[in-house]
Amino acid sequence: MADEKNASANATHWGATLASFVNGCFGDYLDGRNNGLAIDMAFYQNNRPLDLTPEALNEALPAPTGKLCVLVHGLCCNEWSWDFPDQPARSYGSALQHDLGHTPFLLRYNTGLPIPYNGQLLDELLERLLAAYPVAVDDLVLIGHSMGGLILRAACHYGAGRAAGWVDKVSRVFYIGTPHEGAGLEQFAHLMTKMLHAMPHPVSALVGDIANQRSQGIKDLRHGTLLDGVDFTESVPWLASAQHYLIAGTVTDDPGHLASQLFGDGLVQPPQAGENVRLFPGVGHMQLAHDDAVYEQIKQWCASA
Amino acid sequence: MENASLRQIRGAKELIEEGIDAAALAISDVQRKMTQTPYALLAGVKPIAGPVRAIERAHLKIADSVYFSIRLGNRLVGNMAGLVLDQLEAQAKRKGRS
Repeated sequence: MADEKNASANATHWGATLASFVNGCFGDYLDGRNNGLAIDMAFYQNNRPLDLTPEALNEALPAPTGKLCVLVHGLCCNEWSWDFPDQPARSYGSALQHDLGHTPFLLRYNTGLPIPYNGQLLDELLERLLAAYPVAVDDLVLIGHSMGGLILRAACHYGAGRAAGWVDKVSRVFYIGTPHEGAGLEQFAHLMTKMLHAMPHPVSALVGDIANQRSQGIKDLRHGTLLDGVDFTESVPWLASAQHYLIAGTVTDDPGHLASQLFGDGLVQPPQAGENVRLFPGVGHMQLAHDDAVYEQIKQWCASA
Repeated sequence: MENASLRQIRGAKELIEEGIDAAALAISDVQRKMTQTPYALLAGVKPIAGPVRAIERAHLKIADSVYFSIRLGNRLVGNMAGLVLDQLEAQAKRKGRS
């Protein structure tokens, strides 16, 4: 009986992981076709979306606090990307809850949709969350990994633009391995498809067409697009009322190594050094979402005045 | 089986079906384009131009029918899988009610 339950849980886990991957690759197509695989943005708990009603939140959260943290995963992932591999019940969210009393909310969304669109959805979702939350919220911490950081920035922009109530509660925003200046891999993919289409051969054109089927979410990573029709993140100001922290990794222990210089954390180049910037040499892109040293830094920043 | 899982399975079925259909169309188009050049070259040789055009027409008809069969088979298998999913969904609804 227990084996059957485990097998069923494993199948569900793999199914959700595969669905998240497919959403990252073709999510805009799935959404346009109203395909059942398309993920609707929601906060998830135990592989189920949370209803944003006071009753449902009361039931789901035995001890809600006035401090919230919202975790937004990256491309082709879901909320399980935050789990520590050797301790699946532990994530930055659960650790912050244990150490500093932040009630965690883990977002799952269709990562193939355009980043500006997901930003708008998140803006609306955060408003609904705070409206239904059973306790008055006085602190909101946002943590985004990779594409998730861009979506947080877009949500803050749209929320601030319409003076949404949740924006004033944001004290800190953490961007973990976020390609604010664009992702090299997508820039390379864009160049390759251009070259394939430029070649006067039907097979290369076909390969180019196939590569071009990748989602708008992926394409938006080329320049870190946050707003419709605007390519560069520089044109979007950082939310003035909050502290912003940039966390990055490198593929080698020596950040000066050629491999780290070329590939950054494997997918994203680290930002320039600064006051609220911390580099973790030897921590790759995916590991940044579940690393003890990274968590200690987040905790330290969260605990600081 | 839960309705959410069935919805995902139906979504995966539709995605695979649409993928196979689009791939068959795209590959058939590439094959047409690729065969155009050698046939055009051979048809330029006057004594064999007539037979070359006849062979080209036959070749394209055979290729088209192969791709049509692939798309038709894909559609049939997809429809059958859809019927099975309809049954499973109906079962899940009945279970939900009782």
